[in-house]
Amino acid sequence: MPIKNRLAETHAEITAWRRHLHAHPELDFDVHETAAFVVERLREFGVDDITTGVGKTGVVAVIKGRTDTKGRVVGLRADMDALPIEEATGVDYRSKYPGKMHACGHDGHTSILLGAAQYLAETRNFDGTVVLAFQPAEEGGGGGREMVNDGLIDHWGIQEVYGLHNMPGLPTGQFAIRPGPLLASADEFYITVTGKGGHAAAPHQAIDPNVAAAQIILGLQSIASRNVDPLASAVISICALHSDIDTHNIIPQVTRMTGTVRALDPEVRDFVETRVGEIATSIARAHQCEAEVDYRVGYPVTVNHEEHTGYAAAAAHAVAGDVITDIPPIMAAEDFAFMLNACPGAYIMLGNGDGPMVHHPEYQFDDEAIPAGASWFVELVEQRMPAQ
Amino acid sequence: MPIKNRFADLHADITAWRRDIHQHPEILFETHRTSALVAEKLRAFGCDEVVEGIGRTGVVGVIKGKADGSGKVIGLRADMDALPIHEETGVEYASKTPDAMHACGHDGHTAMLLGAAQYLSETRNFDGTVVVIFQPAEEGGGGGREMCNDGMMDRWSIDEVYGMHNWPGRPVGEFAIRPGPFFAATDLLEIEFEGLGGHAAKPQETIDTTLMASHAVTMLQSIVSRNADPIDRIVVSITSFETSSRAFNVIPQKVQIMGTVRTMSAEARDLAEKRVAEICEGVASTFGGVARVTYNRNYPVMVNHDAQTEFAAKVAKSVSGQCEEAPLVMGGEDFAFMLEERPGAYILVGNGDTAMVHHPKYNFNDEAIPAGCSWWAEIVEQRLPIAS
Repeated sequence: MPIKNRLAETHAEITAWRRHLHAHPELDFDVHETAAFVVERLREFGVDDITTGVGKTGVVAVIKGRTDTKGRVVGLRADMDALPIEEATGVDYRSKYPGKMHACGHDGHTSILLGAAQYLAETRNFDGTVVLAFQPAEEGGGGGREMVNDGLIDHWGIQEVYGLHNMPGLPTGQFAIRPGPLLASADEFYITVTGKGGHAAAPHQAIDPNVAAAQIILGLQSIASRNVDPLASAVISICALHSDIDTHNIIPQVTRMTGTVRALDPEVRDFVETRVGEIATSIARAHQCEAEVDYRVGYPVTVNHEEHTGYAAAAAHAVAGDVITDIPPIMAAEDFAFMLNACPGAYIMLGNGDGPMVHHPEYQFDDEAIPAGASWFVELVEQRMPAQ
Repeated sequence: MPIKNRFADLHADITAWRRDIHQHPEILFETHRTSALVAEKLRAFGCDEVVEGIGRTGVVGVIKGKADGSGKVIGLRADMDALPIHEETGVEYASKTPDAMHACGHDGHTAMLLGAAQYLSETRNFDGTVVVIFQPAEEGGGGGREMCNDGMMDRWSIDEVYGMHNWPGRPVGEFAIRPGPFFAATDLLEIEFEGLGGHAAKPQETIDTTLMASHAVTMLQSIVSRNADPIDRIVVSITSFETSSRAFNVIPQKVQIMGTVRTMSAEARDLAEKRVAEICEGVASTFGGVARVTYNRNYPVMVNHDAQTEFAAKVAKSVSGQCEEAPLVMGGEDFAFMLEERPGAYILVGNGDTAMVHHPKYNFNDEAIPAGCSWWAEIVEQRLPIAS
């Protein structure tokens, strides 16, 4: 079967939800209006149970199938938060809130899952229970982690969990997945280099933390180029560097830098953490400075479970025919990793057609991907918990 | 079937040949004694044709099967050259030539293919023609390229070609293979930096090439750490750094650095070549010097063909009951040139827990001979079956 007929009918309605959410973007955990909109729709659909405030502002809903002979529970997840970007699309439903924008398509993800929920609540053509998770703060806040910590998997008894993300560059509606690591871990680090401030005309009386910091940046390049197995993947990027003064005649006392580490393997990730610390402190010492390294572990590697990747691909195949099953890993990170660490499942990429990349001010979610995305969620439920 | 019985009989003979070759290692194209020994044995086995001097010192032998209804010709290839390493194994048949050693097991490869040639000449239990190929100069000289350039593939109408390499760390006689890119492209770098030599006490009157080249080495790290796709596999190693003078009080006029670039894709290879030149020339001009960059594209990526890989794995399973998926290897392999001209596959055979290849204590494991020879013989008998 291709797209579910009913979802072709509700396409316009789901698109209207998506555009409403797009016009009202909210950041991080502050997704109050969005969560209220989700709850309102779920009540209209007649789902069996709604819990708000899971993982601060997340929403969990339950839809029971026509029968429940085996006690099966499948979790479906979407993210609701937007980004602190000034929208530059020019569409008539563009963001009404300055400096905020749905530039990662979470408006689309939430609407797709709402569309699937509407269908599932109408038909209930499955044997078991569906748990819908609408999470806040995917963009760095760890909303998924908060929901897991609030008992999303254990309390609702989720046995397997699935999610999707739109992907610009893939034809609209084309599914792509891989077993194993799909998205990278993302950690951040802060290095504070302390020297001895002084007059810029008398460098010999000072200890210049800027030179030490520059050498640290060079030294950090050798982690990827020399230390990590070339068959593995690691990214170490220094993203910000600033000294504690902003003038041209003072050697600063302190210089700070901020960076990120991405890896596709937990061991590589630990190894990089060790090397960042060793390199920063040793190079600083060589320059008579002190380096303090604050390494903050963020999102883990998003690892698709092999068996469930097969289920996800089978559902995608039923919906869209050809499925890419060996898409290369992506170095971006995804909060869904916390759910996959707590429960088996899989994450799939859904083509968004040609257009700007996510996080770009001109990015647009493609509403034409809605029927495929919603059909995939529905198909997963009906295949994993076939009606008696 | 497991090991062929005949190879259990021949095991002692083949081991003796292997140890004789081990004792008389020859470098690159200078494999005169080894080539003569190979040609003499092939003639003694009764090969239908033996031709020396293909690719300078390569040897080709032709063995016709009992029937030739298929008209098919299969090439089997071994390498004969040794390495400029001083042997430290302490075995009684250790190299008699100082600073030359069979530290990559080509002695074993040659002996195993000779064993297979003897068996195939005796039995001729196949429908078609076998061409055994013994190449010189696998270790950087491109002996395989030279044999191809001499028209070997067309002259003997070879349809498919197979190769094998021993692999320390794998259980003896156990096989591993992978389809697609397998061994990396290996390119060679030579960069000469020229500044202005002078007195070490008066650096202001010189253009210091040591500093210039040091900056280049540091900046070359950024090809892997910043330019290459982190999912891609790439290595840039600077392996040699030489100043044109060796003194405490002279700033050298020139510095020469050497290195290697390993890549698994054409894109990464092009990127590395471009960036090496840009970085070295840019750094040199920053200091007021010049860089002369030679980027020598040596061995291409060795790509196993899908159908032949599947067949080779099937044969390996029939010989030793298993065949694993091999990981990618960042080393290079001259057999790549033959696989560019004809479909075929390259397989690894376990050498047990020995020192790694290219180590002065490495030794080929004679216990791998029956499995290796059987694989060769089975490749022929299964690919060119006699009609019954």
